[in-house]
Amino acid sequence: MGKGYRQAPGKGGASKKRKDGGRIAGQQDFGVPGSGGASPHSNLQDLDHVPSSVGGWMPQPRGPHVHDRHLTGTTIGKSVPLIDANWKVTGQAEYGDDIRLPGELIGKILRSPHHHALVKSVDTTAAEAMEGVFAVATGADSENSFGVLPVTKDEHAMAREKVRHVGDLVACVAAIDEATAIQAMHAITVDYEVLPSIHDMEDGLLDSEHPIHDRGKYHVGESNVQKRVFQQFGDLDGMAAAPYRHEADWETAGVHHGFTEPHAVVAHWDPSGRLTLWSPQQVPHYLHRALSSVLDIPMHQINVHRTFVGGGFGGKSDPFPHEMCAAILARKCGRPVRINFDREEVYWINRGRHPSRIQMGVFADEEGRIAGIETDALIDGGAFASFGHVTTYYNGVLHTSPYEIGGFHYTGARVWTNKPASGAMRGHGAVNSRCAVEVGIDAVCEQMNVDPMTFRLANLLPPHSRTITGFRITSTGMRECLAKVREMSGWDEKFRNLPLGRGIGVGCGFFISGSGLPIHWDPENFPHATVHLQCDMDGGVTVHTGAAEIGQGSDTAIAQAVSEVLALPLDMIRIRSKETDTAPVDLGSYSSRVTFMNANAAIRAAGELRDKVMKAAWEITGYHPDVLVIGDRRIYYRHDPAIGVSWLEAVHKAQADSGALIASGAYRTPPMGGVHKGAAAGLAPAYSFSAYVAEVEVDVETGFTKVIRAWAAHDCGKALNPLAVKGQIIGSCHMGMGQVLSEEMKYGRDGHLMNPDLLDFKIMSVHEMPEVIPIIVESNDPEGPFGAKEAGEGPLLPILPAVCNAIHDAIGIRIDEMPVTPDRLYKRIEQACKAQGVDDPLDLANPTYSASALQTTLAERAEAHALRDHQRDIQKDRSSYVNGVLFGFDPDIPPSEQIEGWRESITPSPEDLVDETKRAARAWSHVERRHRGDA
Amino acid sequence: MRMPPFTLHTPDNLAKALALAGELTDFDWVSGGTDLLPNYKWHLNPSPDVISLAKVQELNTLSPTVIGAMVRIHDLVESEVAHPLLRETAATIASIMIRRSATVGGNICLDTRCFWFNQTEDWRRSIEWCLKCDCGTGADCRVIPNQNTLCVATYQADLAAAFIALDATIHLAGASGARSMPFAEFFQLDGVTRNVLKAGELVTHVTLPETASQWNGAYQKLRLRETWDFPEAGVAAAWRIEGGSLTGLRLATTGCESIPGDHTELAMEAIADWDGKASIRALAEGVRKAVKPVNNTYFPPSYRRKMLRVLTRRALSELEGL
Repeated sequence: MGKGYRQAPGKGGASKKRKDGGRIAGQQDFGVPGSGGASPHSNLQDLDHVPSSVGGWMPQPRGPHVHDRHLTGTTIGKSVPLIDANWKVTGQAEYGDDIRLPGELIGKILRSPHHHALVKSVDTTAAEAMEGVFAVATGADSENSFGVLPVTKDEHAMAREKVRHVGDLVACVAAIDEATAIQAMHAITVDYEVLPSIHDMEDGLLDSEHPIHDRGKYHVGESNVQKRVFQQFGDLDGMAAAPYRHEADWETAGVHHGFTEPHAVVAHWDPSGRLTLWSPQQVPHYLHRALSSVLDIPMHQINVHRTFVGGGFGGKSDPFPHEMCAAILARKCGRPVRINFDREEVYWINRGRHPSRIQMGVFADEEGRIAGIETDALIDGGAFASFGHVTTYYNGVLHTSPYEIGGFHYTGARVWTNKPASGAMRGHGAVNSRCAVEVGIDAVCEQMNVDPMTFRLANLLPPHSRTITGFRITSTGMRECLAKVREMSGWDEKFRNLPLGRGIGVGCGFFISGSGLPIHWDPENFPHATVHLQCDMDGGVTVHTGAAEIGQGSDTAIAQAVSEVLALPLDMIRIRSKETDTAPVDLGSYSSRVTFMNANAAIRAAGELRDKVMKAAWEITGYHPDVLVIGDRRIYYRHDPAIGVSWLEAVHKAQADSGALIASGAYRTPPMGGVHKGAAAGLAPAYSFSAYVAEVEVDVETGFTKVIRAWAAHDCGKALNPLAVKGQIIGSCHMGMGQVLSEEMKYGRDGHLMNPDLLDFKIMSVHEMPEVIPIIVESNDPEGPFGAKEAGEGPLLPILPAVCNAIHDAIGIRIDEMPVTPDRLYKRIEQACKAQGVDDPLDLANPTYSASALQTTLAERAEAHALRDHQRDIQKDRSSYVNGVLFGFDPDIPPSEQIEGWRESITPSPEDLVDETKRAARAWSHVERRHRGDA
Repeated sequence: MRMPPFTLHTPDNLAKALALAGELTDFDWVSGGTDLLPNYKWHLNPSPDVISLAKVQELNTLSPTVIGAMVRIHDLVESEVAHPLLRETAATIASIMIRRSATVGGNICLDTRCFWFNQTEDWRRSIEWCLKCDCGTGADCRVIPNQNTLCVATYQADLAAAFIALDATIHLAGASGARSMPFAEFFQLDGVTRNVLKAGELVTHVTLPETASQWNGAYQKLRLRETWDFPEAGVAAAWRIEGGSLTGLRLATTGCESIPGDHTELAMEAIADWDGKASIRALAEGVRKAVKPVNNTYFPPSYRRKMLRVLTRRALSELEGL
């Protein structure tokens, strides 16, 4: 078909004309100038990436999507390197510590050596008198509190009356160089009165003479309980009477994100008196708000710059005290102040995964249905709240999917202890509990003598259904994920068939694709994401977005969305996402929301821009936009491609009266969810689903576990960039495997964190990392941008239970702790030897499997459900489906009206709290001060 | 985090180095620096003077029976003339990047380790220091509390076990002359004292007996990851088989106590009455009993002791059939 239309600007094609001036049929007559670009000729439309619903060749097994009309075959669905990749690999990317302002001073933070102490006085005179010291600040300079969640603003830039963990901030200095700053820091004398400290999370449940925080009238008893959750839904009597049950008591250590880049910040009050601040932040908007309230200045006097981020994973998703310190010091001395953390300080600020004690009960009935899931989760919050209020919900509420369950009971509690604060680490609260659920499922399958794969396939909630607590499930690719990993791993041949020491296990994951409700209560329904586009006379498109590029590729995803709608090559799209002055507000990179919300906003904005340009093309060509096609830098008449104009020419025409073209798109979540307190937690406009199979080798003589291979299927709705999705899957496997096998924040006998460094915090090396086979499943989410859902956190969850279940397949030992380090597994092996009466672990029994009659029932049900789900996927079956249909209930009648003993409660009754062994439930035995009358 | 200030000396031959060492009262030797520099950065007993051996050429010999102290670990691994047991052991050390800089002498003289000691200065300030780095406070040991006479920091270097197993001799030199001794005698309790080096002395080289080539060996190392991690326990075995029977056997351990362990006596007893697998099991049990690790490394001591059995058995697996 030839080379395509020339795009070189300024060099017009002088096509032949007829003697009467008319156009010769078949001759091209493209407008001068072309739009320029790396490829000198327009590419033909790639119909393999244009959906069949709009005339392309891309098959759509799950039917059409509302965004099909936006797909031009340009970049969506193609593996492209991230647009900032070259900056990183050439070392030119500017991270937090690369920012150098003229006249900068170096800031250092003085930290508490005590776990818990009153700060009686801080004497900074010696430090202030030191040569080369320009500013010193203490808690006296940081009166206003802050915190990432509005409901728990329990932090100050520096300690006001007390320090709450070793490493807590006490004072800070800004000096001419690092050596002077360190010297000055050590010259500050602090008079502490040491208080008793608590280090075991169960001690946090007890009343204390010195609670770590004081919550005034909301304080729970006189204890260190920060947050309590209780949720009961469903047929709990049926659950209690279930014939098959597995109850486990999990202990999971805290882990850290281990990102390469330590925290850093540069603060500078510019000559007009505005604060400018650079930080590798996941949530620049929340930092913006916090700076305003801490420093007592309006938000419009602050510009937050998000630098390149060398890894966040939830460890850089809070407004931080060190950021406040830099701003306070810079205000005091009038010069820029840069603070850069060493690795140990990264552990002091922490925000890693909560250490947890989770009691998990999984119950199954005689028909192989899940009669219920019962969870009691106590999580160790450390010294501050951070995201913990939300974490306390996520440890339980996400158990209501992907399976259909008879009953759901969750008691959760978060306590303060004198440790570095836990926060929202990748997978946020769902990771440890999901592992326990998936292992529990395997255990009841063993009791029932059924295949855990088949069991799962026979118990899935279908597409377009509601969970027992009112979450709205739209697209789900769980079934396809399970089927794919089953086939690719050789599951049927290997399950319970491998020799002692070799094992295969399956685990599933379910995660939110963006939180349904924002954390700041917002009566005006402010958009969650806004994207502005600007196209000026050069034809390139500038995209303004507040989405924080933290290495996950958000800039690329948004660029791809815009590039796709406008059919422009990626290099004509430039992203501006680094400055709050110019970027429209985005809530931040957490809860896996960015692709879903920002790409949706970007599609809207790009559609608006496209429509303006198409209108101009109409004016030039005489053909209505309905019959125009937007192709590579050229808009042409659908039925005669020779008739058309270049992108640039159309843009210039569109600009004629208005100057630069601008367009705006926003995204808001649709209304959803139940009305009970806490109903919002876990709500999301879409969810991701994943199923992984891991094959392991366990050395029974030493307890060492090696993962040989992992098949990782993740339903991300649609892979906008398969390269990026596969990277996320593999990276998540690395992080999750580390947590299950080797990573832990180790606390010593007197409460000290013993391994705040990367030698003793054991992240897996390349030698331990197996081959991971990433498998992308596309369930075509109706509300996702081009069908896309998240792939940032969800891919982490399944690897933990897959490995735990594989270890059981290998050596018959049921895991209930993490990490399963060799010494811990060896202890279990010794116990198993004793129990089985063998001396040598090599003689341990190898688990076997022989299918029961129930297996046939499940296999048939799985097949029937596969048909059911497909009909719902392609919208042939639009009947309502609510959790409970599997148990024979009518989805159109409220369950409480048709089921005897149906429970729905978010406050425990005394009967609910009888079991003293349930830890989080004990938190409910306290009464808040306001209800005791002594607030 | 900043280095404490120190003066770096770079003598260009051994005589000058020893002379300088004789003059300075408080100094450290540095060869590859892969142990010293991280410890200095954390202010772990830094000295005001550091003498670098980088320019000293006389300590680089590498032959089947002579191994100079400045031989880089990586070169030892790659060498075709060095003893296979030394090459096998050296290949397990740290990571390839560290092995390129690290030296044999540095590995032999590796500072002892403990998780109360190998921490930043601010961290140790918060536990009020410890016996091995007390900053003049007379602080107690944090592993075995309420005493400040015995330091139990663990020796976590690999080569020593292989050298002991090969019956090596270690050679020292100082301003007042040279001396040598059987390898195991170089080490001396406790975790602070570490070895018999006198002020101003250094290790110059290690020699193996002429008969070393008749000995084969194996090294088994316990560590969580296949790179970076120090040995939580290490067993080196060397044996000589003549005419189908075992005529010599030597065993050494490392990573378990403040000094490496020489279990040659146990080994010699075993070959008097060698019975393949049974002897190996008995020997493994003997090694487990002989060693008393404490709780100051990554794995708990009980696990390390139990694994010594497994490590010993696996190191001697070639001898099962004899």
